[in-house]
Amino acid sequence: MILTLLIILFFLMVVVGGNRGVDSFFSLAKTMVAMLVNIYLIAWGLPAIPVTLLVSVFFVATVLYAQNGVNAKMHAAAIAVLIVVIIVMLGAGPLLYRAGISGYNEIEQYEEISMYLSGNIRVSMAAVSISAVVLGLLGAVMDTAVAITTAVNEVYVNNQSLTKAELVQSGLHVGKDILGTTVNTLFFAGLGESIMLAILFMRNAETIASIINSKSLLQEVAGLLIGGIGCLAIIPLSSVLVAGFVVKKK
Amino acid sequence: MFKLQKRNYIWIAGLLFFSIAVFLFVQKNSFLYQDTIVKIVDVTNVLSNTEEGPNGEEELYYNQEITAVVQNGERKGERITLANSFSKSGVNDERYRKGDYVFVALGSSNGTIIGKKRDGYLAVLLAIFLSLLLYFNGVHGVMICVSLLINITLFIVALLQYEKGVPLIRISMILMIAFSILTLLFAGGMHKKTLVAILSTLLTTLLCYGIYEIVLHTNERLPYEMMDYIVNPKDLSDIFLAGILMGSLGAVCDVCISIAAGVAEIVEKKPDIKRKALIQSVREMGYDIMGTMINVLFFTYISGAIPIVVIKIKNGYTLFHMIHFQLVFELIRFLMGAIGIVLAIPVAGFCSVVLLHKDGWHRRREDKV
Repeated sequence: MILTLLIILFFLMVVVGGNRGVDSFFSLAKTMVAMLVNIYLIAWGLPAIPVTLLVSVFFVATVLYAQNGVNAKMHAAAIAVLIVVIIVMLGAGPLLYRAGISGYNEIEQYEEISMYLSGNIRVSMAAVSISAVVLGLLGAVMDTAVAITTAVNEVYVNNQSLTKAELVQSGLHVGKDILGTTVNTLFFAGLGESIMLAILFMRNAETIASIINSKSLLQEVAGLLIGGIGCLAIIPLSSVLVAGFVVKKK
Repeated sequence: MFKLQKRNYIWIAGLLFFSIAVFLFVQKNSFLYQDTIVKIVDVTNVLSNTEEGPNGEEELYYNQEITAVVQNGERKGERITLANSFSKSGVNDERYRKGDYVFVALGSSNGTIIGKKRDGYLAVLLAIFLSLLLYFNGVHGVMICVSLLINITLFIVALLQYEKGVPLIRISMILMIAFSILTLLFAGGMHKKTLVAILSTLLTTLLCYGIYEIVLHTNERLPYEMMDYIVNPKDLSDIFLAGILMGSLGAVCDVCISIAAGVAEIVEKKPDIKRKALIQSVREMGYDIMGTMINVLFFTYISGAIPIVVIKIKNGYTLFHMIHFQLVFELIRFLMGAIGIVLAIPVAGFCSVVLLHKDGWHRRREDKV
């Protein structure tokens, strides 16, 4: 089924996107392989967070530079993305660590799967969960960063007399327009994933108190909220960086 | 660099203060709870034993002796002892630290741990997200919050209906229509382009549904029993389908409103633009959207499965098994979302050109000649 859907996707991308559709498809394939490599490196016992940071650099390079070329606006986007990744690791990491979002949650603990899988794996699940959160927000953050730096660059190309401050303002303005739709994309993706969990909460007649303190809810929601925060944080960051980069170039 | 530096600093300080205040309040809100909450004041960890894992690694197990102070109820202020054990990996257990708030069932001078108190962490993430949203987007940010809130309410109401026995397919159809109309109205306002976006979102979703059904019935059965959180074994395929369509809705809406807004903008600036040129612009917009949007879904969906995949690799499962039994649902969700995104481009393009261009349906032949 996966193969059939992949073929349909490839076919559609070629029809709709032509050569650039083919490029996007292969860039996606590269991303998939890199994601797998990342997972296997973690499973082999390498420290999850540094590995994820390195692989994020690779993702930024393939997705941003390969799809949009090596230029000042992409440098700005890339640096902004990496800064956000590091901020999330340093800021949200300890918070998630303390909150205990890793390992099986209350529901999974009693599912069959946790009974027959050994937990003696010698891999810190806390670090794995933080890595997963970082990887989860990468797509949305890169999308926002590229949209802003491209737009600001476009504005500057059309009007070279603009100052840095004015360019930053236009970046923030563009960010406003993108943000709503990005938030929606993340929101519905999360909603679609959590139907089962929501039904389960209702079926078990969980109290609000137990739901908001549960690991399962935090596992579903934390990634989305941190993704949203990342998308918000990258708006001023990429605006400032791209304004600095394109103006300095002159 | 910002124009209104002083105002910005005040805002940022205010937001920080707000977030910390929310966190502190929610951490210390034990008096609102019926269940007993304790605060851990002292922990000693003692290495208890080692176990050998499936790959021959040594897993370390620790016992924790915990002293905690009761935070609410009649025995508030009392010191009790708790016992816990955790493994270094933390797959199936929880490690507690000094300062943690924990739900317990009280005994005479001891207690049994029920679970960590996590509402403070949830609240602080929510507070940071909302305050940044309001800071950057102002009124528009409020609108986003309102639309999210309405959507969540709709979602809960719909699930309550499902629990009453209404068929899931009917519920999800109504939900999809309501979600698209609401979300796009909030994103696009009362405008013809919003209508175009709603129409093309629904058309795209319908097409996706068709493709999914055809592929589903011409391929091997999905291992639904491997899904997470199984509640209603009879409805698994329908629940999964609803999840797929709902999950891609946000992305499809995004593509449709972007294209409809783009076409509306062009038509407004240049009312006499030729249909062919307009279609060319749609293609250009499509190229730009396609790659990055697909990436967003990829990272969002796949990342959730990473922890369980790592556990399974460690337990000796092959990549083949993983793709066919573990990642299969994430991958199908992602691929259907990606197909939705790509399909939305021509669908939205067609609807926008037909409905927004002054020629509409007519003179199509003349155009071609």
